[in-house]
Amino acid sequence: MRAKLVSPILLLASWEIGVRLEWLDPRLVAPPSLVVTELWRLIESGDLVAALAVSLFRVVAGFLIAAVVGTALGVLMARIRAIELALDPLIELFRPVSPLALFPLFILWFGIGEASKVFIIAFACSFPIILNTYAGVRGIDPTFFKASRSLGASPWEVTHTVVLRGSLPHIFTGLRLGWGIALIVIVAAEMIGAVRGIGYMVLESQQTFRIPRVFGAILIIGFLGFVTDLGFRHLRRRMMPWYREARD
Amino acid sequence: MMGTAMPEASRPQIIRLAEVSVPTNDTSQIHFDQVSLAFCSTLGRGTVQVLDRVNFSIRAGEFVCIIGPSGCGKSTILSLLAGYLRPNGGQILVRAAPVVGPGSDRVMVFQSTALFPWFTAADNVAYGRRLGANRHRLDGQRATVDELLNLVGLRGFDRHYPFELSGGMRQRVEIARALAVNPDMLLMDEPLGALDALTRLTMQAELIRIWRETKRTILFVTHDIDEAIIMADRVIVMTTRPSRVKEEISVDLPRPRHRDDPRVGSLSRRIANLLGVTI
Repeated sequence: MRAKLVSPILLLASWEIGVRLEWLDPRLVAPPSLVVTELWRLIESGDLVAALAVSLFRVVAGFLIAAVVGTALGVLMARIRAIELALDPLIELFRPVSPLALFPLFILWFGIGEASKVFIIAFACSFPIILNTYAGVRGIDPTFFKASRSLGASPWEVTHTVVLRGSLPHIFTGLRLGWGIALIVIVAAEMIGAVRGIGYMVLESQQTFRIPRVFGAILIIGFLGFVTDLGFRHLRRRMMPWYREARD
Repeated sequence: MMGTAMPEASRPQIIRLAEVSVPTNDTSQIHFDQVSLAFCSTLGRGTVQVLDRVNFSIRAGEFVCIIGPSGCGKSTILSLLAGYLRPNGGQILVRAAPVVGPGSDRVMVFQSTALFPWFTAADNVAYGRRLGANRHRLDGQRATVDELLNLVGLRGFDRHYPFELSGGMRQRVEIARALAVNPDMLLMDEPLGALDALTRLTMQAELIRIWRETKRTILFVTHDIDEAIIMADRVIVMTTRPSRVKEEISVDLPRPRHRDDPRVGSLSRRIANLLGVTI
């Protein structure tokens, strides 16, 4: 763990020194000391919490919708051939399209308010969730299905004790990837069409030439991703103690 | 509808109920009557005849081994009995009723262990009895999970996940899981095939012990001749595909049996000859 701290500390130190010695233009690059001061001010004034709350609401709402719909679609596609045939071409058609390309349409349809942001998040992160769930269900050893049925399981019991349990590690991977995409997309979306949120804060600070604030907001976004991914890993260990060990 | 043979009937179990000649032998629990099965060939057109008019009966409490060359359809017989597959012709009766699908009166035990890796040993054992189909059936006559783990010699391993258990231990848990739903019969598809030689010998003795303590019918598929003779009351020898019953051999030897018993050796040679191997 300590070894992992070396490179960030080196980066921060050379960054600070570089700006102080004016190897880097201080008008364009804010040194870490100034960034920290600015962040502290943002926290004190409540601006940061307000912006984060707005962004997190959008991300969490969109993500939860995608988690429920994406998992369900992934399971249905893996289990029912007709649904796979129907959905697979649509998914492959829309997956390469950047969600941001659709954002102007979403604004047109759902307005400039929260709905368009929630919808673009749900859209963007449903693909990894669907595809990973599908792969997870398909990867379950058919013997588990036979064993379950032999012991008397109904189709519904097979679904929740074998299908969902067996694909949970993959579903989880899909959720993690989806969450990462959600964080990327929300910032971009808030830059294009929003007047609040952490992405808007980055853009607005740049336009008003408050460079320490630009850096501060970017750091917060990185930190948010880092902390939530730790949360996902922790959750995975708690929920699936059998998983990692079973593969090693 | 009154025809005597209707292998092409789409719902044979309904049509045939009227003309079922209930086996004269009352004690027979499993009855294969002229059972045939053909698969559509995956390569190109045509069908592959796997089973060709297979006949045999098994009494309650019997330990029967099915032995035959690789690919002869031994496991297919179990799949039919388990209800995963339907025969193209003939009928399969369990206690005089046709098999229409999987049921917890006949539980499969697989070779590569089919324990759910996401459940602990105790949760695997308890799996079947938590299912809606078994909950009421098992009221009042249930051995506890601890008793079952104890029966298979795994006291204290209830919280272990399958990956923490050895191959032999996993097989023991799987047997306990099957017994937990109080089945009439265990259908074992080369259950010891993946174990190392020493564990396999131990598990053979353990399985005999469990069989004698629980008095279930066991139908056991193997391709190990000695294993069949050591364990079974009766050995059903199959032919190559399309498979039929070549011969049924009763093993009237006292238990426990030993490999170095000359009577085991002579039976072993006889079965090997039936399988076309000279030893």
